[in-house]
Amino acid sequence: MRALLEFIARYHHWMLFVVLEAFSFMLLFQFNHYQHSLWLTAVTETVSRAHEAEARALRYLTLGQENAALTRRNLILEYNLAEATRQIERLSHDSTGTERLQADRMEGIELIPAKVVTNSVMRRDNLITISAGAADGVRQEMGVVCGTGLVGIVFLTSEHFSIVLPLLNSRSHISCRLRGSDYFGHLVWDGINPLYAQLDDIPRHARFNIGDVVETSGFSSVFPPGIFVGKVEAIGNSDDGLSYKLRVHLATDFTALQDVSVIAQQFQPEVRELEHQADSLMAR
Amino acid sequence: MIVTFLIRLLWLVALVAAQMMVFNHIHLFGYATPLPYVYLLLLFPLNASRWSVLLWGFTCGLLCDFASITPGLGAASMTLTAFVQPLLLQAMAPKDALEDMQASYHTLGLWGYVRYAALLTLLFTLSYFLLLSFSFFHVADLAIAFASSWGLTFILCLAMERVRGGRQAPKQQSSS
Repeated sequence: MRALLEFIARYHHWMLFVVLEAFSFMLLFQFNHYQHSLWLTAVTETVSRAHEAEARALRYLTLGQENAALTRRNLILEYNLAEATRQIERLSHDSTGTERLQADRMEGIELIPAKVVTNSVMRRDNLITISAGAADGVRQEMGVVCGTGLVGIVFLTSEHFSIVLPLLNSRSHISCRLRGSDYFGHLVWDGINPLYAQLDDIPRHARFNIGDVVETSGFSSVFPPGIFVGKVEAIGNSDDGLSYKLRVHLATDFTALQDVSVIAQQFQPEVRELEHQADSLMAR
Repeated sequence: MIVTFLIRLLWLVALVAAQMMVFNHIHLFGYATPLPYVYLLLLFPLNASRWSVLLWGFTCGLLCDFASITPGLGAASMTLTAFVQPLLLQAMAPKDALEDMQASYHTLGLWGYVRYAALLTLLFTLSYFLLLSFSFFHVADLAIAFASSWGLTFILCLAMERVRGGRQAPKQQSSS
Protein backbone atom coordinates (compact mmCIF):
# COMPACT_ATOMS: atom_id res chain seq x y z
CA MET A 1 0.00 0.00 0.00
CA ARG A 2 2.82 2.31 0.92
CA ALA A 3 4.62 1.46 -2.27
CA LEU A 4 1.45 2.19 -4.15
CA LEU A 5 1.11 5.57 -2.48
CA GLU A 6 4.74 6.35 -3.22
CA PHE A 7 4.19 5.35 -6.79
CA ILE A 8 1.14 7.61 -7.07
CA ALA A 9 2.95 10.51 -5.42
CA ARG A 10 5.89 10.12 -7.76
CA TYR A 11 3.94 9.78 -10.97
CA HIS A 12 0.82 11.79 -10.12
CA HIS A 13 1.37 14.12 -13.07
CA TRP A 14 1.19 11.14 -15.42
CA MET A 15 -2.13 10.11 -13.95
CA LEU A 16 -3.38 13.66 -14.07
CA PHE A 17 -2.28 13.93 -17.69
CA VAL A 18 -4.12 10.74 -18.60
CA VAL A 19 -7.26 11.84 -16.76
CA LEU A 20 -7.29 15.28 -18.37
CA GLU A 21 -6.63 13.91 -21.82
CA ALA A 22 -9.33 11.29 -21.39
CA PHE A 23 -11.77 13.96 -20.31
CA SER A 24 -10.77 16.17 -23.23
CA PHE A 25 -11.23 13.36 -25.73
CA MET A 26 -14.54 12.51 -24.17
CA LEU A 27 -15.65 16.09 -24.76
CA LEU A 28 -14.15 16.07 -28.23
CA PHE A 29 -15.97 12.96 -29.38
CA GLN A 30 -19.14 13.68 -27.48
CA PHE A 31 -19.85 17.25 -28.53
CA ASN A 32 -18.25 17.61 -31.95
CA HIS A 33 -20.30 16.06 -34.74
CA TYR A 34 -17.45 15.49 -37.15
CA GLN A 35 -15.16 13.89 -34.60
CA HIS A 36 -18.12 12.03 -33.16
CA SER A 37 -18.98 10.47 -36.51
CA LEU A 38 -15.34 9.68 -37.20
CA TRP A 39 -15.04 8.21 -33.76
CA LEU A 40 -18.12 6.11 -34.25
CA THR A 41 -16.84 4.92 -37.61
CA ALA A 42 -13.46 4.07 -36.17
CA VAL A 43 -14.96 2.38 -33.15
CA THR A 44 -17.41 0.43 -35.26
CA GLU A 45 -14.69 -0.75 -37.59
CA THR A 46 -12.39 -1.60 -34.72
CA VAL A 47 -15.11 -3.49 -32.89
CA SER A 48 -16.06 -5.29 -36.10
CA ARG A 49 -12.47 -6.28 -36.69
CA ALA A 50 -12.17 -7.42 -33.09
CA HIS A 51 -15.32 -9.50 -33.44
CA GLU A 52 -14.03 -10.93 -36.68
CA ALA A 53 -10.73 -11.82 -35.07
CA GLU A 54 -12.60 -13.33 -32.15
CA ALA A 55 -14.79 -15.35 -34.49
CA ARG A 56 -11.71 -16.57 -36.36
CA ALA A 57 -10.05 -17.53 -33.11
CA LEU A 58 -13.17 -19.35 -31.96
CA ARG A 59 -13.46 -21.13 -35.30
CA TYR A 60 -9.83 -22.15 -35.01
CA LEU A 61 -10.35 -23.39 -31.48
CA THR A 62 -13.39 -25.41 -32.52
CA LEU A 63 -11.65 -26.99 -35.52
CA GLY A 64 -11.11 -30.15 -33.50
CA GLN A 65 -14.84 -30.55 -32.90
CA GLU A 66 -15.61 -29.76 -36.52
CA ASN A 67 -13.01 -32.28 -37.61
CA ALA A 68 -14.56 -34.94 -35.40
CA ALA A 69 -18.02 -34.12 -36.74
CA LEU A 70 -16.76 -34.29 -40.32
CA THR A 71 -15.03 -37.59 -39.66
CA ARG A 72 -18.23 -38.98 -38.16
CA ARG A 73 -20.23 -37.67 -41.10
CA ASN A 74 -17.69 -39.14 -43.52
CA LEU A 75 -17.99 -42.55 -41.88
CA ILE A 76 -21.79 -42.41 -42.18
CA LEU A 77 -21.57 -41.42 -45.83
CA GLU A 78 -19.04 -44.14 -46.58
CA TYR A 79 -21.27 -46.70 -44.90
CA ASN A 80 -24.28 -45.45 -46.89
CA LEU A 81 -22.28 -45.59 -50.10
CA ALA A 82 -21.17 -49.16 -49.46
CA GLU A 83 -24.74 -50.16 -48.61
CA ALA A 84 -26.09 -48.48 -51.74
CA THR A 85 -23.46 -50.19 -53.86
CA ARG A 86 -24.45 -53.56 -52.40
CA GLN A 87 -28.11 -52.82 -53.08
CA ILE A 88 -27.38 -51.83 -56.67
CA GLU A 89 -25.30 -54.96 -57.23
CA ARG A 90 -28.05 -57.11 -55.74
CA LEU A 91 -30.89 -55.48 -57.68
CA SER A 92 -29.23 -55.00 -61.04
CA HIS A 93 -28.70 -57.91 -63.42
CA ASP A 94 -25.19 -58.30 -64.67
CA SER A 95 -25.85 -59.06 -68.33
CA THR A 96 -22.17 -59.46 -69.04
CA GLY A 97 -21.58 -62.05 -66.33
CA THR A 98 -21.63 -64.97 -68.71
CA GLU A 99 -19.25 -63.29 -71.06
CA ARG A 100 -16.88 -62.47 -68.23
CA LEU A 101 -17.11 -66.04 -66.97
CA GLN A 102 -16.35 -67.27 -70.44
CA ALA A 103 -13.38 -64.96 -70.64
CA ASP A 104 -12.10 -66.29 -67.30
CA ARG A 105 -12.47 -69.84 -68.52
CA MET A 106 -10.53 -68.95 -71.63
CA GLU A 107 -7.59 -67.59 -69.73
CA GLY A 108 -4.35 -69.15 -70.95
CA ILE A 109 -5.97 -70.25 -74.19
CA GLU A 110 -5.40 -68.61 -77.53
CA LEU A 111 -8.54 -67.45 -79.27
CA ILE A 112 -8.55 -67.01 -83.03
CA PRO A 113 -11.27 -64.58 -84.04
CA ALA A 114 -13.38 -65.27 -87.11
CA LYS A 115 -16.51 -64.12 -88.88
CA VAL A 116 -19.35 -66.43 -89.79
CA VAL A 117 -19.47 -66.59 -93.59
CA THR A 118 -22.31 -69.05 -94.10
CA ASN A 119 -24.67 -70.62 -91.62
CA SER A 120 -27.76 -72.79 -91.54
CA VAL A 121 -30.09 -74.00 -88.82
CA MET A 122 -32.91 -75.58 -90.81
CA ARG A 123 -31.21 -78.77 -91.89
CA ARG A 124 -30.62 -81.95 -89.92
CA ASP A 125 -26.90 -81.63 -90.38
CA ASN A 126 -26.02 -77.99 -90.38
CA LEU A 127 -22.56 -76.60 -91.08
CA ILE A 128 -21.00 -73.21 -90.50
CA THR A 129 -18.29 -71.59 -92.59
CA ILE A 130 -15.97 -69.18 -90.81
CA SER A 131 -13.39 -66.74 -92.16
CA ALA A 132 -10.33 -68.25 -90.50
CA GLY A 133 -8.25 -71.11 -91.85
CA ALA A 134 -4.96 -72.86 -91.56
CA ALA A 135 -3.10 -69.67 -92.30
CA ASP A 136 -4.64 -68.24 -89.14
CA GLY A 137 -3.67 -71.25 -87.07
CA VAL A 138 -6.96 -73.07 -87.25
CA ARG A 139 -6.72 -76.86 -87.24
CA GLN A 140 -9.24 -79.68 -87.34
CA GLU A 141 -11.02 -80.61 -84.10
CA MET A 142 -10.50 -77.25 -82.55
CA GLY A 143 -13.40 -75.92 -80.51
CA VAL A 144 -15.42 -72.93 -81.60
CA VAL A 145 -17.22 -70.62 -79.23
CA CYS A 146 -19.02 -67.32 -79.36
CA GLY A 147 -19.62 -64.57 -76.82
CA THR A 148 -22.50 -66.38 -75.20
CA GLY A 149 -21.39 -70.01 -75.28
CA LEU A 150 -20.53 -73.10 -77.26
CA VAL A 151 -20.75 -73.22 -81.07
CA GLY A 152 -19.13 -76.42 -82.35
CA ILE A 153 -15.95 -78.11 -83.55
CA VAL A 154 -13.79 -77.36 -86.60
CA PHE A 155 -14.45 -80.06 -89.18
CA LEU A 156 -12.41 -79.01 -92.19
CA THR A 157 -9.91 -76.27 -92.85
CA SER A 158 -8.62 -74.58 -95.98
CA GLU A 159 -6.01 -71.90 -96.20
CA HIS A 160 -8.33 -69.06 -95.20
CA PHE A 161 -11.63 -70.66 -94.30
CA SER A 162 -12.91 -73.44 -92.08
CA ILE A 163 -16.02 -75.55 -91.81
CA VAL A 164 -17.45 -75.93 -88.33
CA LEU A 165 -19.60 -78.81 -87.16
CA PRO A 166 -22.00 -77.01 -84.89
CA LEU A 167 -24.12 -78.34 -82.09
CA LEU A 168 -26.98 -78.31 -84.57
CA ASN A 169 -25.63 -81.34 -86.36
CA SER A 170 -26.53 -84.99 -85.80
CA ARG A 171 -22.83 -85.94 -85.73
CA SER A 172 -22.07 -83.56 -82.93
CA HIS A 173 -21.46 -85.20 -79.56
CA ILE A 174 -19.89 -82.92 -77.00
CA SER A 175 -19.11 -83.97 -73.46
CA CYS A 176 -20.89 -81.66 -70.99
CA ARG A 177 -21.60 -81.66 -67.29
CA LEU A 178 -23.89 -79.99 -64.80
CA ARG A 179 -22.14 -77.09 -63.10
CA GLY A 180 -21.40 -77.77 -59.47
CA SER A 181 -21.46 -81.54 -59.86
CA ASP A 182 -19.35 -84.25 -61.50
CA TYR A 183 -22.20 -85.77 -63.52
CA PHE A 184 -21.58 -85.54 -67.24
CA GLY A 185 -23.22 -86.64 -70.45
CA HIS A 186 -23.20 -86.02 -74.17
CA LEU A 187 -24.89 -83.10 -75.78
CA VAL A 188 -26.74 -83.94 -78.97
CA TRP A 189 -29.30 -82.20 -81.14
CA ASP A 190 -32.59 -83.76 -82.05
CA GLY A 191 -32.80 -81.87 -85.33
CA ILE A 192 -36.03 -80.05 -84.45
CA ASN A 193 -35.55 -76.80 -82.57
CA PRO A 194 -32.28 -74.86 -82.93
CA LEU A 195 -32.79 -73.41 -79.45
CA TYR A 196 -32.71 -76.73 -77.65
CA ALA A 197 -30.46 -79.78 -77.38
CA GLN A 198 -30.42 -82.96 -75.28
CA LEU A 199 -27.93 -83.94 -72.66
CA ASP A 200 -27.92 -87.75 -72.60
CA ASP A 201 -26.46 -90.33 -70.26
CA ILE A 202 -26.94 -88.47 -66.97
CA PRO A 203 -26.98 -91.22 -64.33
CA ARG A 204 -30.16 -91.92 -62.43
CA HIS A 205 -28.64 -91.18 -59.07
CA ALA A 206 -27.60 -87.67 -60.10
CA ARG A 207 -29.27 -84.80 -58.26
CA PHE A 208 -30.07 -81.67 -60.22
CA ASN A 209 -32.83 -79.20 -60.82
CA ILE A 210 -34.43 -77.41 -63.70
CA GLY A 211 -32.44 -74.28 -64.38
CA ASP A 212 -29.08 -75.83 -63.53
CA VAL A 213 -26.25 -74.72 -65.75
CA VAL A 214 -24.77 -77.04 -68.33
CA GLU A 215 -21.13 -76.49 -69.26
CA THR A 216 -18.30 -78.27 -71.02
CA SER A 217 -16.71 -81.03 -68.99
CA GLY A 218 -13.21 -80.67 -70.32
CA PHE A 219 -12.92 -84.42 -70.91
CA SER A 220 -11.41 -83.84 -74.33
CA SER A 221 -8.73 -81.71 -75.85
CA VAL A 222 -11.31 -79.73 -77.81
CA PHE A 223 -12.92 -77.56 -75.14
CA PRO A 224 -11.57 -76.49 -71.79
CA PRO A 225 -13.89 -77.22 -68.86
CA GLY A 226 -16.53 -74.71 -67.74
CA ILE A 227 -17.63 -73.15 -71.01
CA PHE A 228 -21.27 -72.22 -70.73
CA VAL A 229 -23.59 -74.27 -72.91
CA GLY A 230 -27.09 -73.63 -71.60
CA LYS A 231 -29.57 -74.37 -68.83
CA VAL A 232 -31.68 -77.39 -68.00
CA GLU A 233 -35.16 -76.81 -69.37
CA ALA A 234 -36.82 -80.16 -68.71
CA ILE A 235 -36.00 -83.61 -67.34
CA GLY A 236 -36.84 -86.83 -69.08
CA ASN A 237 -35.80 -90.46 -69.25
CA SER A 238 -33.57 -92.04 -71.84
CA ASP A 239 -35.02 -94.57 -74.25
CA ASP A 240 -33.69 -97.52 -72.28
CA GLY A 241 -34.75 -95.93 -68.98
CA LEU A 242 -31.30 -96.30 -67.44
CA SER A 243 -30.41 -92.64 -67.42
CA TYR A 244 -31.83 -89.14 -67.64
CA LYS A 245 -32.23 -87.16 -70.81
CA LEU A 246 -32.19 -83.46 -70.10
CA ARG A 247 -33.63 -80.83 -72.41
CA VAL A 248 -31.13 -77.98 -72.53
CA HIS A 249 -31.94 -74.47 -73.55
CA LEU A 250 -28.86 -73.48 -75.55
CA ALA A 251 -27.16 -70.22 -74.68
CA THR A 252 -25.95 -69.74 -78.24
CA ASP A 253 -28.43 -68.26 -80.68
CA PHE A 254 -27.36 -69.97 -83.88
CA THR A 255 -29.84 -68.01 -85.93
CA ALA A 256 -27.99 -64.77 -85.25
CA LEU A 257 -24.42 -65.95 -85.11
CA GLN A 258 -21.95 -63.38 -86.39
CA ASP A 259 -18.64 -63.49 -84.53
CA VAL A 260 -16.95 -66.61 -83.26
CA SER A 261 -13.59 -67.60 -81.82
CA VAL A 262 -11.59 -70.75 -82.43
CA ILE A 263 -10.00 -72.23 -79.34
CA ALA A 264 -6.34 -73.12 -79.81
CA GLN A 265 -5.15 -75.01 -76.78
CA GLN A 266 -1.45 -75.28 -76.29
CA PHE A 267 -1.18 -79.06 -75.92
CA GLN A 268 -4.08 -80.08 -78.12
CA PRO A 269 -1.98 -81.59 -81.01
CA GLU A 270 -0.01 -83.70 -78.54
CA VAL A 271 -3.13 -84.93 -76.82
CA ARG A 272 -4.81 -85.65 -80.14
CA GLU A 273 -1.81 -87.67 -81.33
CA LEU A 274 -1.92 -89.74 -78.19
CA GLU A 275 -5.63 -90.33 -78.67
CA HIS A 276 -5.09 -91.45 -82.24
CA GLN A 277 -2.34 -93.83 -81.20
CA ALA A 278 -4.57 -95.24 -78.51
CA ASP A 279 -7.41 -95.73 -81.01
CA SER A 280 -5.05 -97.49 -83.41
CA LEU A 281 -3.81 -99.85 -80.71
CA MET A 282 -7.32 -100.63 -79.60
CA ALA A 283 -8.37 -101.36 -83.18
CA ARG A 284 -5.75 -104.14 -83.55
CA MET B 1 2.47 32.92 -4.61
CA ILE B 2 -0.98 34.42 -4.67
CA VAL B 3 0.34 37.25 -6.78
CA THR B 4 1.77 34.75 -9.22
CA PHE B 5 -1.52 32.94 -9.28
CA LEU B 6 -3.42 36.16 -9.90
CA ILE B 7 -1.01 37.20 -12.63
CA ARG B 8 -1.50 33.85 -14.36
CA LEU B 9 -5.22 34.18 -13.89
CA LEU B 10 -5.11 37.59 -15.51
CA TRP B 11 -3.11 36.15 -18.41
CA LEU B 12 -5.59 33.32 -18.70
CA VAL B 13 -8.60 35.63 -18.84
CA ALA B 14 -6.91 37.97 -21.24
CA LEU B 15 -5.77 35.24 -23.59
CA VAL B 16 -9.16 33.51 -23.57
CA ALA B 17 -10.95 36.79 -24.13
CA ALA B 18 -8.58 37.72 -26.95
CA GLN B 19 -9.05 34.33 -28.53
CA MET B 20 -12.81 34.51 -28.19
CA MET B 21 -13.27 38.07 -29.37
CA VAL B 22 -10.46 38.56 -31.83
CA PHE B 23 -8.45 35.56 -32.99
CA ASN B 24 -11.36 33.16 -33.48
CA HIS B 25 -12.62 35.52 -36.17
CA ILE B 26 -9.35 35.58 -38.08
CA HIS B 27 -9.13 33.15 -41.00
CA LEU B 28 -6.30 34.51 -43.05
CA PHE B 29 -6.66 33.38 -46.68
CA GLY B 30 -9.27 31.00 -45.39
CA TYR B 31 -6.63 28.89 -43.62
CA ALA B 32 -4.67 30.66 -40.90
CA THR B 33 -6.30 30.99 -37.49
CA PRO B 34 -3.96 32.13 -34.71
CA LEU B 35 -4.10 30.29 -31.40
CA PRO B 36 -1.94 32.46 -29.15
CA TYR B 37 -3.47 31.29 -25.86
CA VAL B 38 -0.73 28.67 -25.82
CA TYR B 39 1.45 31.57 -24.67
CA LEU B 40 0.16 30.89 -21.16
CA LEU B 41 2.34 27.75 -21.06
CA LEU B 42 5.42 29.73 -22.09
CA LEU B 43 5.08 31.73 -18.88
CA PHE B 44 5.69 28.80 -16.50
CA PRO B 45 9.10 28.78 -14.83
CA LEU B 46 11.51 25.87 -14.55
CA ASN B 47 10.45 24.86 -11.06
CA ALA B 48 6.69 24.95 -11.68
CA SER B 49 4.99 21.77 -10.52
CA ARG B 50 3.95 19.63 -13.43
CA TRP B 51 0.42 19.08 -12.20
CA SER B 52 -0.15 22.84 -11.96
CA VAL B 53 1.06 23.33 -15.54
CA LEU B 54 -1.30 20.54 -16.63
CA LEU B 55 -4.26 22.06 -14.81
CA TRP B 56 -3.62 25.58 -16.11
CA GLY B 57 -3.16 24.36 -19.65
CA PHE B 58 -6.25 22.17 -19.52
CA THR B 59 -8.38 24.98 -18.06
CA CYS B 60 -7.20 27.50 -20.63
CA GLY B 61 -7.83 25.11 -23.50
CA LEU B 62 -11.25 24.17 -22.16
CA LEU B 63 -12.34 27.80 -21.78
CA CYS B 64 -11.24 28.60 -25.32
CA ASP B 65 -13.08 25.49 -26.52
CA PHE B 66 -16.32 26.67 -24.98
CA ALA B 67 -15.76 30.07 -26.54
CA SER B 68 -15.23 28.59 -29.97
CA ILE B 69 -17.77 25.75 -29.54
CA THR B 70 -15.20 23.01 -30.05
CA PRO B 71 -15.29 21.19 -26.70
CA GLY B 72 -12.25 19.10 -25.95
CA LEU B 73 -10.18 20.17 -28.94
CA GLY B 74 -8.09 22.90 -27.32
CA ALA B 75 -8.16 21.16 -23.94
CA ALA B 76 -6.57 17.99 -25.31
CA SER B 77 -3.92 19.96 -27.23
CA MET B 78 -3.10 22.25 -24.34
CA THR B 79 -2.88 19.32 -21.90
CA LEU B 80 -0.42 17.52 -24.18
CA THR B 81 1.64 20.70 -24.61
CA ALA B 82 1.54 21.36 -20.86
CA PHE B 83 2.83 17.85 -20.24
CA VAL B 84 5.81 18.42 -22.53
CA GLN B 85 6.56 22.04 -21.55
CA PRO B 86 8.59 21.35 -18.36
CA LEU B 87 10.68 18.75 -20.15
CA LEU B 88 11.33 21.09 -23.07
CA LEU B 89 12.24 24.02 -20.86
CA GLN B 90 14.53 21.83 -18.79
CA ALA B 91 16.25 20.65 -21.94
CA MET B 92 16.72 24.16 -23.34
CA ALA B 93 17.58 26.02 -20.15
CA PRO B 94 21.25 26.91 -19.49
CA LYS B 95 23.12 24.63 -17.10
CA ASP B 96 23.60 27.45 -14.62
CA ALA B 97 19.98 28.58 -14.75
CA LEU B 98 18.20 29.32 -11.52
CA GLU B 99 15.53 26.93 -10.30
CA ASP B 100 12.82 29.52 -10.78
CA MET B 101 14.01 30.62 -14.17
CA GLN B 102 11.23 31.72 -16.49
CA ALA B 103 11.70 31.46 -20.21
CA SER B 104 12.34 34.83 -21.85
CA TYR B 105 14.61 36.52 -24.34
CA HIS B 106 16.89 37.42 -21.45
CA THR B 107 17.14 34.04 -19.77
CA LEU B 108 17.32 31.78 -22.84
CA GLY B 109 18.72 34.29 -25.27
CA LEU B 110 16.96 35.42 -28.43
CA TRP B 111 17.47 32.27 -30.44
CA GLY B 112 17.00 30.06 -27.42
CA TYR B 113 13.62 31.54 -26.73
CA VAL B 114 12.66 31.51 -30.38
CA ARG B 115 13.47 27.81 -30.56
CA TYR B 116 11.63 27.10 -27.31
CA ALA B 117 8.54 29.02 -28.40
CA ALA B 118 8.70 27.55 -31.87
CA LEU B 119 8.80 23.97 -30.60
CA LEU B 120 6.08 24.48 -28.01
CA THR B 121 3.72 26.29 -30.40
CA LEU B 122 4.54 23.72 -33.06
CA LEU B 123 3.55 20.87 -30.79
CA PHE B 124 0.36 22.62 -29.75
CA THR B 125 -0.72 23.65 -33.26
CA LEU B 126 0.12 20.27 -34.73
CA SER B 127 -1.90 18.35 -32.14
CA TYR B 128 -4.72 20.90 -32.48
CA PHE B 129 -5.05 20.52 -36.23
CA LEU B 130 -4.61 16.77 -36.18
CA LEU B 131 -7.45 16.48 -33.72
CA LEU B 132 -9.46 18.98 -35.73
CA SER B 133 -9.17 17.13 -39.03
CA PHE B 134 -8.84 13.68 -37.48
CA SER B 135 -7.72 12.32 -40.83
CA PHE B 136 -5.20 12.89 -43.62
CA PHE B 137 -7.84 12.91 -46.31
CA HIS B 138 -7.12 16.53 -47.36
CA VAL B 139 -3.50 16.47 -46.39
CA ALA B 140 -2.55 19.53 -48.48
CA ASP B 141 -5.26 21.73 -46.93
CA LEU B 142 -4.35 20.39 -43.54
CA ALA B 143 -0.67 21.21 -44.05
CA ILE B 144 -1.41 24.76 -45.24
CA ALA B 145 -3.82 25.44 -42.37
CA PHE B 146 -1.40 24.02 -39.84
CA ALA B 147 1.66 25.82 -41.15
CA SER B 148 -0.03 29.20 -41.51
CA SER B 149 -1.75 28.96 -38.13
CA TRP B 150 1.44 27.88 -36.48
CA GLY B 151 3.31 30.77 -38.07
CA LEU B 152 0.78 33.30 -36.86
CA THR B 153 0.63 31.77 -33.38
CA PHE B 154 4.39 31.71 -33.14
CA ILE B 155 4.75 35.35 -34.22
CA LEU B 156 2.03 36.45 -31.81
CA CYS B 157 3.70 34.61 -28.94
CA LEU B 158 7.05 36.22 -29.75
CA ALA B 159 5.34 39.59 -29.93
CA MET B 160 3.59 39.13 -26.59
CA GLU B 161 6.83 37.99 -25.01
CA ARG B 162 8.54 41.03 -26.48
CA VAL B 163 5.92 43.31 -24.93
CA ARG B 164 5.96 41.47 -21.58
CA GLY B 165 9.73 41.12 -21.50
CA GLY B 166 10.25 44.79 -22.47
CA ARG B 167 8.41 45.88 -19.37
CA GLN B 168 10.23 43.52 -16.99
CA ALA B 169 13.67 43.29 -18.60
CA PRO B 170 16.35 42.76 -17.70
CA LYS B 171 15.72 41.46 -14.18
CA GLN B 172 15.34 37.79 -13.39
CA GLN B 173 11.91 36.46 -12.63
CA SER B 174 11.06 34.81 -9.42
CA SER B 175 7.80 33.00 -9.46
CA SER B 176 5.81 29.91 -8.55
